Amino acid sequence: MQHFALTIIGRDRPGIVSQVTEILFQGGFNIADSSCSILGGQFSMILIISNPDISTTEQFSDTFKPLEENNLSVYIRTLKEGGETRPEFNGELCMISVYGADKPGIVYQVAKELGDRKINITDLNTKLIGEQDKPVYVMMLEAILPEETELNVVESWMEELKKKLQVDISVRSLAAIEL
Amino acid sequence: MAVKDVLIYPDPRLKKVCTPIDHFDQSTRELLQNLVDTMIDAGHSVGIAAPQIGDLYRVAVVDVSNSKLGKKQENHGLLQMVNPEIIETEGSQSVREGCMSVPDYTGNVTRSESIVVQFLDQNQQLQVIRCDRFEAIAIQHELDHLDGLLFLDRVSSLKTDLFRRKQK
Repeated sequence: MQHFALTIIGRDRPGIVSQVTEILFQGGFNIADSSCSILGGQFSMILIISNPDISTTEQFSDTFKPLEENNLSVYIRTLKEGGETRPEFNGELCMISVYGADKPGIVYQVAKELGDRKINITDLNTKLIGEQDKPVYVMMLEAILPEETELNVVESWMEELKKKLQVDISVRSLAAIEL
Repeated sequence: MAVKDVLIYPDPRLKKVCTPIDHFDQSTRELLQNLVDTMIDAGHSVGIAAPQIGDLYRVAVVDVSNSKLGKKQENHGLLQMVNPEIIETEGSQSVREGCMSVPDYTGNVTRSESIVVQFLDQNQQLQVIRCDRFEAIAIQHELDHLDGLLFLDRVSSLKTDLFRRKQK
């Protein structure tokens, strides 16, 4: 079945999820996967959806028009075959927490250390917290370490960055305990 | 004895509150052995509770000594627990848990860091032991099963399980 990625974003208020999911439900859509959250003052929704009767974006026609009329932006991406299935990962899951005085380039420089080494980031959240005149930047990042990469090696890369960026960074294993 | 099938949610038996064992007899010993056999056969498992194999009694087994993480920490090896009760808890730790009965999902759960658990062992002896860290997590997870609680009832955020585990 054809799957689509549906992205919806707009000023947060009560009722967005209910309006979106009512349209999906009435239209016969399945929600296979989703992640929705408030970012700043915006509520953002990303959903992987499918509908047995729909195989192209043209067939959506006016399905999401009521959302746009309510000041929500809607974007639909057509997934290629298999794009709805998560890939299989090998390696150890680790979490990297980065926090410190806000400055440009925190996310980029940490991500670059990992990206340059082909380490896959699977989850990333950033928030600006603290007092207005002393903002603190917090980033929580999850990544999969290839089998040949040990946690302490990642720690040593981050040790360098800590000095360069003047932020605190901690790395810890996130292995799920299998019970 | 026997390796049993591990029930998968939404099997309703996983949501039942289990009955204490009033008379410790041969059937109790068999249940303990079935749990041990099933836990070992499941390969990756460090514990299993009776309702996970469809026996709605307050019985569970835990053994963290063979797991990668458990090996590094002090532990009690194989614990066979009848009518277990946590009588003291201390501290808290956050951990990402997965469960054989809820495949493909893991979640961050907050558990006590150290517990004192009381139970009848396989020889009907009353044991009162202190367990820490991973072993404490495993016991809390298994004892939740006896009250019809899954880690989904405790979780603060859910993540897709990124790793394919051995499923029976």
